[in-house]
Amino acid sequence: MGTRERRERSDKIDGELITLFHDALSHVGIAESEAALAAVGGYGRGELSPGSDLDLLLLHVGIDEGRLKEFVNAFLYPLWSTNRKVDYSLRTKNETLAAAQDDIKVILGLLDLRPITGNTELAVDVGAAALELWRKDYKKNLPKLSASLDERHARSGELAYLLEPDLKEARGGLRDINILRALARLDILDVALDRVAAAESILMNVRDALHESSGRDRDHLLFTEQDKVAELLGYTDADILMMDVAKSARAVDYTSARTWDRIERLSRRSFFKRARPIGIAKGLVEFDGEIAIDEGFEIEKDPGLGLRAAAIAAQHGLHLTVDACTEMAARLSDLATPWPRQSREDLVTLIGAGEQMIETFEALDQEGLIARWIPEWEHVRFLPQRNVLHRHTVDRHMLETAFRAAALTRKVHRPDLLLIAALFHDIGKGFIDKDHSDYGEVLIRPLAARMGFESEDVETLAMMVKHHLLLSSVATRRDLDDPQTVAYVRSLIPDAGTLELLHALSIADGEATGKTAWSSWKAGLVNDLVQRTLAAMHGFEPAQEPELTPEQMALAQSGELTVKIEPRDENFLIEIISPDRMGLLSIVAAVLSISRLDVRSARTRTVGESAVMTWLVALDAYATAPTEDSLRTLLSRALDREIDISKKIEERIANFRKYPGIPTPPPVVSAFNDLATRATIVEVRMHDKPGVLYNVSRTISKFGVDIRAAIVATLGAEAFDTLYVTDINGDALSEEKAKILANQVENYLQTL
Amino acid sequence: MKLITAIIKPFKLDDVKTALNAAGITGMTVSEASGFGRQRGHTEVYRGAEYTVDLVPKVRLEVLVDSADVENVIDAIVKAASTGSIGDGKVWATTVDHIVRVRTGERGVDAI
Repeated sequence: MGTRERRERSDKIDGELITLFHDALSHVGIAESEAALAAVGGYGRGELSPGSDLDLLLLHVGIDEGRLKEFVNAFLYPLWSTNRKVDYSLRTKNETLAAAQDDIKVILGLLDLRPITGNTELAVDVGAAALELWRKDYKKNLPKLSASLDERHARSGELAYLLEPDLKEARGGLRDINILRALARLDILDVALDRVAAAESILMNVRDALHESSGRDRDHLLFTEQDKVAELLGYTDADILMMDVAKSARAVDYTSARTWDRIERLSRRSFFKRARPIGIAKGLVEFDGEIAIDEGFEIEKDPGLGLRAAAIAAQHGLHLTVDACTEMAARLSDLATPWPRQSREDLVTLIGAGEQMIETFEALDQEGLIARWIPEWEHVRFLPQRNVLHRHTVDRHMLETAFRAAALTRKVHRPDLLLIAALFHDIGKGFIDKDHSDYGEVLIRPLAARMGFESEDVETLAMMVKHHLLLSSVATRRDLDDPQTVAYVRSLIPDAGTLELLHALSIADGEATGKTAWSSWKAGLVNDLVQRTLAAMHGFEPAQEPELTPEQMALAQSGELTVKIEPRDENFLIEIISPDRMGLLSIVAAVLSISRLDVRSARTRTVGESAVMTWLVALDAYATAPTEDSLRTLLSRALDREIDISKKIEERIANFRKYPGIPTPPPVVSAFNDLATRATIVEVRMHDKPGVLYNVSRTISKFGVDIRAAIVATLGAEAFDTLYVTDINGDALSEEKAKILANQVENYLQTL
Repeated sequence: MKLITAIIKPFKLDDVKTALNAAGITGMTVSEASGFGRQRGHTEVYRGAEYTVDLVPKVRLEVLVDSADVENVIDAIVKAASTGSIGDGKVWATTVDHIVRVRTGERGVDAI
């Protein structure tokens, strides 16, 4: 089973055909110069699988119909009697080219034309003319080819993830490789055929073995054939065979998708408008619709570059260039342990990008970068699962779950934990004699700790992985009316926050698995269980108002504006104490934003006549490190209205809008009164973008209420802000007023 | 020949399956169903947000049996599915004229 055998098979058939062809010529009395025999398609490339059709082209110079018919019968009857399947066309050169013009399949076949015998010059001539036609008409042909590709992929599914795939027709299959070869011959772009060479030989070998074991020419690798094929090819079992098939298919799919993407960009690019690289983040540029590494950037010195590039690409809905991926794979240094905060956030940002994430993740995975950052991933790569409920390999299932979890981030208080748990919930699969949920818990703990999550978060993640099937199984198997059922869930899940996360994870996991595993019926049962359990819990603890140190209290009493800056890892911790006034939070947020300081988290609180604020900020790609003096000067000018802060920030927001983005769930704002603190608590969940905090706090201030305290968190690309607001008397708002405030803020944020 | 259809609470499915196996029944069709009878839907209140469960999730179970076994099988289902509270479900039997086993072409009682 291999290329050599396929060539030998092809050579042997060549020999038989030459004899038959010449016998037929002399039988009818046709001169060798009048006709030619050529192979097209796979046979044209000189490779023949055991059950493949013989794709033949019989060329002639215009022989009359009677003699032609006699010749064809004389040539083909002996072939038919051997049970060989022959697919032939009988044409003159002009007829062939006319057919090639009308039918894309014909021209694709002709690109592999190989003369076998007869008038070789004629055959070579037709091959050359077909290639010329292919190159001339590509603008007309490529859209058609692309549409047929999409249609075929939709019909046959993805080779890498199906349990019973079609080796030829499925996405990432043999037909895609043939198309890549045809695209390479256009000479309009480089096609990385070397990246699919190994994949092609594996897929061809599997197909040969399938033909041999089934005795048929079908390319559908059915479950019943997989064991036999694995044995024929010397695999220890069918799972390993399927992993190899999946791996090959992904290599093909990756190259194919990238090639088509480049073709599309080529056709869009205007002749006059040359693309120019635009800086988009440290070390990264947007160039011609892709994210590339800035020329001359010292990749070795910045281990965080990989995840940053992925986060940026996914959030903007752009690809990483192949060069960027290979360069990083070759030159990137390992991340520190535990990961820096920024890298962890970049991973969360990547996962939170939804559908676009899958492609970016796969690009990194193709280069082995994912397994370098997360060695646990290696075990689940391409891991098949023999389970009727599942459609996908384990790794792809987890990506699909994360993609669905991204749509549920507004439903939880900790979107980052939801996304990470979704991406790793089945990480314990594929270990013999181990329950995957239990073993997943064992694996996720050190993994989460390495990523730099705090121990409390590590525990929550461990609990989510261990119990990711709990809600589904309890909801369908136990009596929800029995108080013991709710008590049982509460005994395992400590608080409303974790339960809410687990609920979202169950939905994402169920939806990713498929309709048989997750129906509205089941969703209803799970929801019922969750609501009953939540009702029995203490409810959600809002983020607490920050405590102040005696030093901060003392400074607050002085009534002066002070600014202190301390470097913290790659970020800066900024403490600002300022006389309080209406709208202070929005002014400070705006000043930080226009200084190109990206707020990662903040805690602010008003005491007496002053406000004490601590901010954790990151520098954006073009910012210089802030100094206490410059920031204080800017702040006091903004507070004295010497500069028009709103105009500047609008400019910055408008500038950001120029970049492409991805669809994200709409903002959600809720408000409720907290008796203990005599304040109305406003919670804002939305996708992070420049000016979010400015806009939130400005809208609240415009409502004529005081912001007493704010706890701002950025979790990956999601912002979660908690604001304590009071009326001018320092009391909580009425419930009705709180509701109106929440609505107004939400409506306004939706317009951004 | 009879077709016995049972609408039961989802969490009772395992118990009913075990009881049917003990009664010598090995084949059955199970599907997800939802609806309401006297139990009606119910309204729950959580943190001020009211949500209504108007269609209650149930499991629908179908078994083909010889007429002589009907009482036994119904008893087994009822006993296993009962919790004594509202919404336990219903069981009914209907007469079946023809049964064919697709694989062998057997007909009537032989096809059960």
